[in-house]
Amino acid sequence: MNRKILNIVVNGESHQVLIEPHWTLLQVLRNEIGMMGTKENCLEAECGVCTVLLDGKAINSCILLAGQVEGCSITTIEGIGDPEHLHPLQEAFIECGAVQCGYCIPGMILTAKSFLDENPGCRPSRDEIREAIAGTLCRCTGYRKIIDAVATAADRIALSGAKQ
Amino acid sequence: MSFDLHRPATVTEAVDLAQRFAPTARYVAGGTDTVIQINRKKIDPAHLIDVACLPGMSEITETADAFALGALTKYRSIETHPAFRGNLRVLLEAASVVGGHQVRNIATIGGNIVNASPAADFVPPLLALDASLDITGPKGRRSVALRDFIVGPGRTNLSPVEIVTSIRFAKLPARSATAFLKEGRRRAMEISVVCVAACLTLEASTSRCASVRLAIGAASPKAFRPQQAEGFLIGKPAGKESFAEAGRLAAEASSPISDVRASAGYRRGLVAVMVERALTTCLQRIREQNQ
Ligand SMILES: Cc1cc2nc3c(=O)[nH]c(=O)nc-3n(C[C@H](O)[C@H](O)[C@H](O)COP(=O)(O)OP(=O)(O)OC[C@H]3O[C@@H](n4cnc5c(N)ncnc54)[C@H](O)[C@@H]3O)c2cc1C
Repeated sequence: MNRKILNIVVNGESHQVLIEPHWTLLQVLRNEIGMMGTKENCLEAECGVCTVLLDGKAINSCILLAGQVEGCSITTIEGIGDPEHLHPLQEAFIECGAVQCGYCIPGMILTAKSFLDENPGCRPSRDEIREAIAGTLCRCTGYRKIIDAVATAADRIALSGAKQ
Repeated sequence: MSFDLHRPATVTEAVDLAQRFAPTARYVAGGTDTVIQINRKKIDPAHLIDVACLPGMSEITETADAFALGALTKYRSIETHPAFRGNLRVLLEAASVVGGHQVRNIATIGGNIVNASPAADFVPPLLALDASLDITGPKGRRSVALRDFIVGPGRTNLSPVEIVTSIRFAKLPARSATAFLKEGRRRAMEISVVCVAACLTLEASTSRCASVRLAIGAASPKAFRPQQAEGFLIGKPAGKESFAEAGRLAAEASSPISDVRASAGYRRGLVAVMVERALTTCLQRIREQNQ
């Protein structure tokens, strides 16, 4: 087969992977690198569970050809915090009880992170949060608490930014 | 499904590759249309040529009297650009209702134009701004007006080896405003049932319409400018009565289909209402500018 070497940085760590041209970033992350926090579902960019950050910006990894991200930096849910050092978004999701089945949550958190990072220190309205996460579906329909969690995290990030 | 992915370093190299592998080659930018079409087995290219990696095609450039948007410009870059908060708001409004943030962070405006869906959201705003495309191919460069570029549903006058490099349009005169409206079955992540872009300029010292450009998406085989509606408004007082008549004329000029999203009759009704509302919004915006 016409496999090619792909160099990518995932959660700060460099990887070299032998890929086929039609493999998506999602396939590479799950099957080759083992980042199972990135979920697979609709495979048409409609639901957002496959969301990861590409150079800091949320994208759907299910329809992005891995070969197109040569040299790029990817962040998955595993890369933004760990149980001892939770990201403020992770913390807020737990506190607000924003997780039901959990399948959409990695995508939800990364979508929110990408949005909050665009305007450091911003405190978006509930409508702005709703709009920002529109590309990520929660089949449990637990949006209210998800929005609570994003708003809580945004407040805390803004506060800690102001202190520094 | 099996293809080779090529990553040229320059536009010339990309065009050479496309020529070498035509007719089984296809360009890919953000891939949000292309990859889905490949997965659905609608297309089966043997060679994909990545244009997303080409340098110098993602810039938004402002000159004294015009703007140029690189074909690789992402919707989110348009949404967050300060230049499109004023009388070019039509671009911000259209960009911000394409898919979700994830799609808007990677999908390109060039891909939207070349894909030429009748419901493409970024086409009507550019038609309303009378935009032109810069194209590079084996014989060099050419420029074509967007209204001549799209010829039918999914069809353009681009040869398979040509690349769209940028989109240009002139800045608007004083006393101008623009607006974009989209109706779908829900408020986000939705294909347009109808979308309307309007660009209105008033005479210098009256409230009569000096220049009007309207563009309507998803209500005919390709997005179109309702010329009778536009022509009717010239010299007429801007206001409810004339705008409603323009809406009626635009609806008459549309040729919508019935599909899973809406019936033809509903779409035609939407065209009339949305044209009137888009023009009313433009008028309000011009008045606000002058306060
Ligand atoms: C979940 C989802 C939601 C969406 N929502 C919307 C929506 O609300 N409104 C809307 O209008 N669209 C929507 N789209 C469609 C799509 O995202 C847009 O049309 C987008 O702008 C396509 O850009 P791209 O860069 O991804 O295109 P690609 O898939 O990379 O390319 C599309 C076509 O254009 C050609 N092409 C691309 N760039 C060039 C170039 N520079 N020169 C020559 N040819 C080129 C390719 O060969 C291909 O034929 C959605 C798609 C998805 C997956």
